Amino acid sequence: MSTTTAPTPATGRTPSATTRVLGLARANLTLLMRNKLTAGYALVLPLLPLALLLGDRGNEALVSTGLSSALLMAFLFPVFYNLLSATVTRRDELVLKRMRTGEVSDLELLASLALPGAGIAAVMMTIAVPVALALGAPMPANVVVYAVLVLLGIVMFSAFGFWTAAWTRNAEAAQMTSFPVIFLAILGSIAPVLPDRAARVVEFTPGAAMESLVGIGWLGVDGDQALSFGETWAASAEPTLVMVAWAVLALVLAQRSMRWEPRH
Amino acid sequence: MTNTHHDLAVEVSGLRRSYGSGKDAFEAVRGLDLTVERGTITALLGTNGAGKTSTLEVIEGLAPATGGEVRVLGMDPVADRRRVRRRTGVLLQRSGFAADLTVTETLRMWASTVSSPRSVPESLEMLDLTHRADVKVSGLSGGEQRRLDLACTLMGHPELVFLDEPSTGLDPESRRRVWRLVEDLRDGGATVLLTTHYLEEAERLSDRISIMDAGRIVREGTPAEIVEGHPSHIEFQNVTTPLPDLPGARVDVGHTRTVIAAPELQPTLTALLTWAEAQRVTLPGLVARTATLESVFLSIADSGHAPSEPAVADSDTDHDLEVAR
Repeated sequence: MSTTTAPTPATGRTPSATTRVLGLARANLTLLMRNKLTAGYALVLPLLPLALLLGDRGNEALVSTGLSSALLMAFLFPVFYNLLSATVTRRDELVLKRMRTGEVSDLELLASLALPGAGIAAVMMTIAVPVALALGAPMPANVVVYAVLVLLGIVMFSAFGFWTAAWTRNAEAAQMTSFPVIFLAILGSIAPVLPDRAARVVEFTPGAAMESLVGIGWLGVDGDQALSFGETWAASAEPTLVMVAWAVLALVLAQRSMRWEPRH
Repeated sequence: MTNTHHDLAVEVSGLRRSYGSGKDAFEAVRGLDLTVERGTITALLGTNGAGKTSTLEVIEGLAPATGGEVRVLGMDPVADRRRVRRRTGVLLQRSGFAADLTVTETLRMWASTVSSPRSVPESLEMLDLTHRADVKVSGLSGGEQRRLDLACTLMGHPELVFLDEPSTGLDPESRRRVWRLVEDLRDGGATVLLTTHYLEEAERLSDRISIMDAGRIVREGTPAEIVEGHPSHIEFQNVTTPLPDLPGARVDVGHTRTVIAAPELQPTLTALLTWAEAQRVTLPGLVARTATLESVFLSIADSGHAPSEPAVADSDTDHDLEVAR
């Protein structure tokens, strides 16, 4: 064992926020990949629903359902569930508390936890574009709407992951505590079978907003109405606002409830 | 920023910290004053629940104080978090690692967050972990995890180091290695504030000791100052002959052993042995020792949650007897 050297004044190289976040995110990605089940869910489930497109080539209803389900899987598994279980595990292992004794800021710590899942979801939903096209989907009507949708979904479900982690006792309990957010996410897909008044309410759920945005951004239709490229901007405003509102709500909830160490 | 002394690494005054609220509220730190001079090793001693970790967490900036003021290197550990952290190293009471990362991956991760970090090989070497570099944290022994934790603490060449029970759970060999490391830190100009259960560790390592009880510092000074004024003890198995009058000393006859607390060991012991010689009394199992940090600590711990002054009472008796200071 060598001896320690004299302390150097704090004039040396200080890593940038990006260096710190990427350094920590790299470790979190290693951990994600080392957990076979989480990695499998994150890498396989998001593309699986695109198999629906094989059923009836060119059927727009199937394209809509397939893409919406793919997005849902990407938001729920690599983003939401992975982040929920990673945050709870790191918290219980006292890693979060330990890291907070160092130079990294709280926001950087959270970003590094969210980044691997967010990155996987973004990559998966990018790969989904050529895959869907190859399976007979039409060219996206407005790719910006689709990209914004992916981005907002990632932010919203990351925030929901942190919020759920706050009241999840341990990693096993996440199987149960993840239910409210999963339910909220899939609520949109059952809108068609609900009575009118209920369906109107459900439209304001993130799941329904996602489905509208897939219709507008990819297929260029709003309900039964075909849209020109110019019209897709206006049509996407309301569901985008719904998504933003949910993302803000989730961020506020997460910010208010964040816990850094296990309850005593 | 008034009243900040440049020779003080840590300055705490009137610190309070409470947990919970209403009926369940519990005040763990109750008006604590503490100063740590630069370039020294200061030990915070106390029984379980005395409030050591609660205090340290506030000084480290991990938890807000309920009241009082804390300055670390002249700064506020919460408001100036970023600047303080660049110059401090923290070892928490319990290590926090991701079980599935290897030792090298863990150190590399830490290094990415630290200003001017030691290299990973140097960190491994410093805590004798080179041969364990590719082992997952879950496969390390408790002592190895503690050393890995210390490697993270020291990675940024901190000028002020907080160590919460650094050697708990270590084998004697590792403990000595940690002691050497702590001494090297001080000799290199760094300041160390540590907590410990091991009185031997505090006595051996520290320049100054602060003893905590029930959320306050009840005694503070160099190891020599701490024991100063505390009674020496003479012990032997009970004898049938009545003992002589021993001025200033307090005699306590227990079930099997007699304990004499004496402000001055030598005259009392001389008087006792002279009497024994004259009376032809044998004192079986005779032990005589001056006050040690341990006896002082135990008297504080046993005095219950004492008022601000430490009781000088012997641990075996209820009645206090004034002992000269």
